[in-house]
Amino acid sequence: MHVGKKVRAVVHVTQSDGEITTGKSTDEHQLIVKGLPHVSLMSYVEVIGIAESDQSIRAETWTNFGNTFDAQSYNQVCQLANGEFKGLFL
Amino acid sequence: MTKCVSPNAISTILANPSPESSSDVPEIVVQVIELKATGASGNRFMFTANDGKMKLRGILPTNMGSEVMSGNIQNLGLIRILDYTLNDIPNKPEKYLIVTKCEVVSPPLEMEVKSEVKSEETGIVLKPKQENEIKSEVKSEVPGIFLKPKQEIVAKSAAQIVHEQRQNMAPAARMSMTRRVFPLVSLNPYQGSWTIKVRVTSKGSMRTYKNARGEGCVFNVELTDEDGTQIQATMFNEAAKKFYDRFQLGKVYFISKGTLRLANKQFKTVKNDYEMTLNENSEVEEASNEETFVPETTFNFVPIDSLGPYVNGMELVDVIGVVQNVSSTMSIRRKSNNDTIPKRDITIADATKKTVVVSLWNDLATSVGQELLDIADKSPIVAIKSLKVGEFQGVSLSTLSRSVVLVNPDLPEAKKLRSWYDSEGKESSMASVSSGMSPSSKSGSRSMYSDRVSLSHIQKNPSLGEEKPVFFSIRGYISFIKPDQAMWYRACKTCNRKVTEALGSGYWCEACQKNDEECNLRYIMVVKISDASGEAFLSVFNEEAEKIVGCSADELDKLKSEEGEENPYQLKLKQATWNSHLFRVSVAQNEYNNEKKQRITVRAVAPVDFAAESRFLLEEISKMRVSK
Repeated sequence: MHVGKKVRAVVHVTQSDGEITTGKSTDEHQLIVKGLPHVSLMSYVEVIGIAESDQSIRAETWTNFGNTFDAQSYNQVCQLANGEFKGLFL
Repeated sequence: MTKCVSPNAISTILANPSPESSSDVPEIVVQVIELKATGASGNRFMFTANDGKMKLRGILPTNMGSEVMSGNIQNLGLIRILDYTLNDIPNKPEKYLIVTKCEVVSPPLEMEVKSEVKSEETGIVLKPKQENEIKSEVKSEVPGIFLKPKQEIVAKSAAQIVHEQRQNMAPAARMSMTRRVFPLVSLNPYQGSWTIKVRVTSKGSMRTYKNARGEGCVFNVELTDEDGTQIQATMFNEAAKKFYDRFQLGKVYFISKGTLRLANKQFKTVKNDYEMTLNENSEVEEASNEETFVPETTFNFVPIDSLGPYVNGMELVDVIGVVQNVSSTMSIRRKSNNDTIPKRDITIADATKKTVVVSLWNDLATSVGQELLDIADKSPIVAIKSLKVGEFQGVSLSTLSRSVVLVNPDLPEAKKLRSWYDSEGKESSMASVSSGMSPSSKSGSRSMYSDRVSLSHIQKNPSLGEEKPVFFSIRGYISFIKPDQAMWYRACKTCNRKVTEALGSGYWCEACQKNDEECNLRYIMVVKISDASGEAFLSVFNEEAEKIVGCSADELDKLKSEEGEENPYQLKLKQATWNSHLFRVSVAQNEYNNEKKQRITVRAVAPVDFAAESRFLLEEISKMRVSK
């Protein structure tokens, strides 16, 4: 949906091997992030970059949120921000 | 129906000089003789009551004056005495009959009733002359005033006729037949006379009070009628004493002549816009033939670890737990009237592995409290209904007069609790519910989400906390701490009260009555906080201020005197600014120079738990959408 556009997502890292980082999105889908350095497993990373496909992002900026992160709340906010309250953000 | 005096009426009266109420008075019909006007304006009437055998001097109630004036009560006529008191006449053996309530039975008889009169059942005779019914010989004496009635026909009201028809029936039956029972829901302050038939579903204990007008006693009952409508009825002083023993839990009564008024929301316990007051003139009669039905106590248990949100709220809670500890009885002096009332504290635990202290007051402390003390070693289960939740030691529970305590009740929750306790609870370590609530403060992080308001809510309501301080939780940023304010006071190391500089050296504490070389500095400051809606000034005391500033007052004082590029004191305060915190505050009214000002005081401070806060905000958002 947002392919080719700049997106922001938080990924729960499940695999990290140099170039490719694999993780779970806050709505339980698998995402692949390219261009991240090694990140410790089970940490949450916010990634901002271009969506190359509907399952991968090429990272431009990233922030490590650490291990404690309320994925559920984040997901709810995402849904609100993209749905009902879209007008507040875009 | 009889139109004659009741046999031995006078002896009956003499035998019972002060009947408790009109329902205590049997059928007493006497003949009025020697009727005489008396009193300053001649509107009171003295008479002699005659039952054919004995005579008794007395006086009619003031409200019967009109009956006499209109000719309904005349000399030689018959009246039924409904309520009276017998007074002693000083220095004389005779008594004096003060009739408080009576009704007309018959217009004048031909003459004074002199001997035994048999009662007869006859129909209603509207003819004024009744002498034909008196079977026994009548001596032809005509003592006293013999007034012939002016009218030939005596008009009787329907109530009078029915009353006479049913003379010999029990008062309650008579009441239910002559009066229409009104549904509770139809009552209002403007309704004239009504009678209700209600069951006492809750009875409070008698309380004494003292106010500007003097002392008094009061109690109230909860009344429920057939439709299920409930109303609270309150009785003060004389009425309280009169009806306290009469009202019994579970029994049904006919009540009339109460007053209705709008219920005071602060003290309302029952769902009704109105509340009732009964005074000494109100009528309360037990309805015979009604089964006593004490409604079963239904419980809605709150687990001990979930008590946080109820702290200082109006909502009463029910709890069930295993008794861990029972204290001895303590006597607490009530500030309002210096009464001492008994109190006993029990500690209970439940499957949440938390404990809480329940204070039992008055009868509960002495009766069931003692019972629990005796069986405490058996770890009994106790279920308590209607507890007030306070904030002493974090969370505290207190009984009210309406609280119900059941020991080892036959409830499914009790069985579950028993099996949990016997299997694992006994051994597990429990923590007080208050200790688990927040890492630092006693108010608990849970209560940081109850009564959450925005600053503008407090500011826009200048009358908040007028009667009693109101509590809220808020989230805001410290926006400004004025560096040059009196930020602390010198405190006694023992009791924390303010000390004064002693003559010579050291500090003097008036409360401890001692001198100390050293003292502590304790914070007492005002900080400005802001949130999305507005800003406000909050008063902060030592413990909370330490958390906000990040160091003790003594340490900050040291920084103040340090020299440096940028004054470290100012720096410290700057660092404290624009940090967000969760605050538990109380709002009260302070009078200052005759002006009422709102004062917001911080009771507890806690760091913002962002995850919890996010969840809270998301919930608020969803509430907004629902209400759309």
